[in-house]
Formats: sequence, C-alpha cells, structure tokens
Amino acid sequence: MPNPNTEKILTQNKPALASRISASLIGTLKHMKRDRQLLVLFLPCLIFYIVFRYGPMFGLTIAFKDYNVFEGILGSKWVGLKHFIKFFSSNDFWLLFRNTLSLGFFTLIFGFPIPILLAIMLNELRVKWMRKSIQTLTYLPAFLSVVIISSMVIDFLSPSSGLINKLITALGFEKIYFLIIPEWFRTIYVASDIWANMGYEAIIYLAAIAGISPTLYEAARVDGCSRLRSLWYITIPSLMPTILIMFILKTGNMLRIGYEKVLLLYTPTTYEVADVFSTYVYRKGLIESNYSYAAAVGMFEALIAMIMLLSANFISRKAGGKGLW
Amino acid sequence: MVGESKLNLFGVINALILCCIGLATVYPIIYIFSISISDTASVVQGKVTLLPRGINFDAYLEVLQDKRIPRAYLNTIFYTGFGTFINLLLTSIAAYPLSRPDFIWRKYWMIGIVLTMFLNPGIIPNYLIVQGLGLTDTVWALVIPNAIWTMELIILKSFYESMSSQVRESALIDGASEYRILFNIVIPLSKPALASIGLFYFMGHWNSFFLPMIYLTDSSMYPLQVVLRDMLIFDDGAKTGLVDAAALAPQAKKNATIVLSMIPVLLMYPFAQKYFAKGIMLGSEKG
Repeated sequence: MPNPNTEKILTQNKPALASRISASLIGTLKHMKRDRQLLVLFLPCLIFYIVFRYGPMFGLTIAFKDYNVFEGILGSKWVGLKHFIKFFSSNDFWLLFRNTLSLGFFTLIFGFPIPILLAIMLNELRVKWMRKSIQTLTYLPAFLSVVIISSMVIDFLSPSSGLINKLITALGFEKIYFLIIPEWFRTIYVASDIWANMGYEAIIYLAAIAGISPTLYEAARVDGCSRLRSLWYITIPSLMPTILIMFILKTGNMLRIGYEKVLLLYTPTTYEVADVFSTYVYRKGLIESNYSYAAAVGMFEALIAMIMLLSANFISRKAGGKGLW
Repeated sequence: MVGESKLNLFGVINALILCCIGLATVYPIIYIFSISISDTASVVQGKVTLLPRGINFDAYLEVLQDKRIPRAYLNTIFYTGFGTFINLLLTSIAAYPLSRPDFIWRKYWMIGIVLTMFLNPGIIPNYLIVQGLGLTDTVWALVIPNAIWTMELIILKSFYESMSSQVRESALIDGASEYRILFNIVIPLSKPALASIGLFYFMGHWNSFFLPMIYLTDSSMYPLQVVLRDMLIFDDGAKTGLVDAAALAPQAKKNATIVLSMIPVLLMYPFAQKYFAKGIMLGSEKG
C-alpha cells in the first residue's frame, strides 16, 4: 500500500522531478557522446570482464543444481544445498581443510622470513659485483615453469638415480622413497617453494632497504655504531612497515595453494596429506565429471579465500599501509 | 679496532652463506644441463654430479627426431607470441579510458574490475564458460579467458595517469581522435611499462601448463609444458621409483628437453630482470 503522502508529493513535484530526471539523462547522454571514442576503446575490456570474470560467477549456480551437459547451466534441475551437505558430511571435507590450511601455514611461516633475511644479507654484502650476481642468480628460478621445478624435485629425490638418495646410501643409510611417503610431502612442497621464490620475493625488501636514508647510517657510524648494531637499530626497524604489510597480505593469500605443483608432485599414496581443495575440485570435476559437486567445493574454497583476503586488506589499511588497490 | 675485526668476520661469514645460497640456486640447473650432454653410460652409472662426462649432443638429436617435441615447441612459440600480443593490445586499449579522470562511470568500472581480484569462482565455472563458448581445442581457449590480467591493467593505467597530459590535450585541440592519441602518442611513450607487463604475460604463456592441459584434448596441439609433464612426471614410475630407471624415458633426453624449454627464458634473462624487478615494484606500489 503506497503512502498517500508520498504520492501527493510525487504528483506535486512531478514537473520538477521529471525535468530533473530528463536533465540528468540528457547530461549522461551528452557525457556518453563526448566519450564515445573512449567507450569504443573500453568495449573489449567490458565484454571480457562480463563474460570471463562475471560469467563464471553466474555459472556457480550449478553448485545448487544437478548439472548435466545436455540441459546446460540454465536447464538443469535445482537441488538446493545437496552438494554442500554431501561435501560437509563427507570425510574428505576435514582432510582437505586440514591439508590446505597446513600447506598454506607452513609455506607462510617458513617461506616468509627467508626473503627478508636474504635481502638483509645481500644488503650487507659490500662487494658490489658479488651482490649483483648473487641476487641475479637467486631469482632465476622465478622464471622456470612449475613443470620444470617439479621435475627437478622428482629427479633429485628419485630412489634409483636421485642425487639425494645417492648421498644417503653413500653415508650408509637406507634410501628413502621421498615422493610416496606422506610424511615427506609437506617438507618437499615447502622447501621447493622457498628455493623457487626467495630471490623473487627479496626484491621488494631490497627496494625498501634501498629507500632508507643513507644519512641515518652515516650518523650512526660517526657515533661509533658497528655494522651489526646499525643493522639492528636502523635497517630492521625501517623495514618493519614493509614486513608487516607483506605479512598481512601473505596471510590473506595463505589458502591460495600452488595447486599446480601439488598436482604434479602428489601420488595416490600421498593424497592424505597433499590433496587440497583445488586438486580435489580438479579430480572430481574435470576427471570424474561431477561438475556440480566440484563447483560446490570450489565455491566454498572461494568464499573462505575471499573472506581471508578482504580481512587482510582491511587490516592492512587499518595498519596504515596500502591495501591491494 | 676490535670493532673492525668483528666487522670483517661478520662480512666474511655473510659472503660465504650467500655464495652457498647462490650455488644452491644454480646447481640444479647446471646439473640438468650436464646430464643432457653426457653419454648414457656415465649417466646410468651416476658419475655425473656437476660437470658433464663424455660430452655429446645425441640427446638433442634424439629430441629433434621425436616428432612430438619440435611440434610442441612450435605450438608454444605460437601460443606465446599470439597470446602476449592479444594481452598487450587489449590491456593497453582498456587502460587508456580508465586512466582518464573524467571518463564516464569510471569509478564504477574500476570497482567492477578490482572486485574480480577477490572473487575467483574457481576451475569448474571457468571451464564451463570456455566449453560453452566452444573454445576448447582451439588457440582461443589459451588466449581469451585470460586476455587481461587485472594487476597488469591497473599497473598500466597508473603508468598512463603518471604521464603528462599536455601533449594529449594539445593533440585533442588540434582535432586528433582518441584513437590517434592512444596509438601515436600514448602507446609509444609507454614502452618501458609495456615491456614490463609484457614480460609477465610472456612468462605466463611460456610456462603455462594447467590451462592447455584442461582445454586441449588434441595431443598435436599440446604446448611444450604439457609434453614435458607427460615425459617427466606423468609416468608415475619416476616418482615412486618402483619402476626400473632404464624403463623410463632416458634421462639425457628428458633433460635436453628441459634445457631447450629454458633457452628462450635464459636468453631473455639479462633484459628481463631489469623489467621484472621494475614490474614487481610497480605492482606493489600501485597495485
């Protein structure tokens, strides 16, 4: 039941309102006409984002349906929360949750401090050519594909020809079947991650160190401060804001596991520790063609990742830093 | 004086540790190269640990004769070249209107674009869209679904914004169209930024294996990374070690393929690292 008063006001102000609406409409049209060339340039981008970034969000509705190829996304039957209930009540849920969380957590706590240490150490290296060349070497792996990195891992750990196992047998121990023993998976994943990423991630810290005013160091030297002390009292405190922001953002991204590497390195015997949400979605959806169930799992993962990222961004802004944008 | 000697000790230890880290980073790469040019006997006996033994290039000849690999190499070159071109074209065109402060509904466009960084619906819906549009088993499946990376778009937009608007405005007054301004003034002036984001796109295409793996079923279309993965990893024998080493693809051949796939990346490296570092910094400042 519309409020009669509102209606009265509306009828009274009708000419004014109508003219205001048409004025703003004309204004918009004029603006559009003025920017028509810019709009043409923007059109491909707009279509791209609608189809390939927002389209899949619409496609997520299949998580609430029983998708089948013949009926398509729209035609398939609604089933409500069936797939979610099935997932949450299965044993897989806790396994995946634990694996995703622990792979993310260990990568964060071991992988986070090393680039900082590397940057500080590189900065302390006073021989310039040495610093340059070591820095250049350390971010070489960032250019290698995940397939190559995984194959290196497999080669080095191979029980028959791998160097690590040769070393172990040379020292008189039994050789270890690294890639089929579940206990080793996390170590292998995290260590290869550190190897591949430390140089790349040190770049941000090196730039932050380069931004510290040299007068601080000069003043410290005049006051008789040793290099170790100026490292402790100048370099590290000046790096703290960068470290804090990076830590918050990394925490927000913690659940985004490098699933491609997991996919390349795991074997059925290590699923119990290696299987994460994304690899499970890949197997259930694209290998077993359980699209709806896989989409439900993927949606749950996306929701958690989004909440973590948004809160990290929020905290980072509160902490006085920049957010993701 | 006491302080001085301590300082040296610290410096020496630091340098030593860093040298170890540097060596640990390149060692696997040198090792792979050495295996690829060593003779089979030395490899099987495990004599190669750092430097090659019995140098020969048989493995490379073998790779070239294996039909799969040269074809995959050409596929990768094509996907990378074409894909990077499309990426750069669409990103540079899209960033231009967004860099204009008075572009109509600019604020809403930006919100819509940035939101997609947080909302990632995952593998399945993306796959269904690509499949629904009939792109699977075509080049377009590798090029179009990731034609614009939001991060690179924002970086380029910020770069355009930082350019002086005077030239552009005087060109506008002279009656030049926006298209002319973009292609004749703005893009030529943005070469450093384009090189930097182009490098990220290039590396993304060259190293990509997951998307080709799920979108291509025709094995004659496989790029190098998918073939490499089939050779190196897919045979689980290598992982479990339960299969005799001799039954697997010969190691020298595998490693020769890896080396060939790394060559363009290593050749670009001196040039790339300059822009790479710059790109990361741009990303962290403006992103």
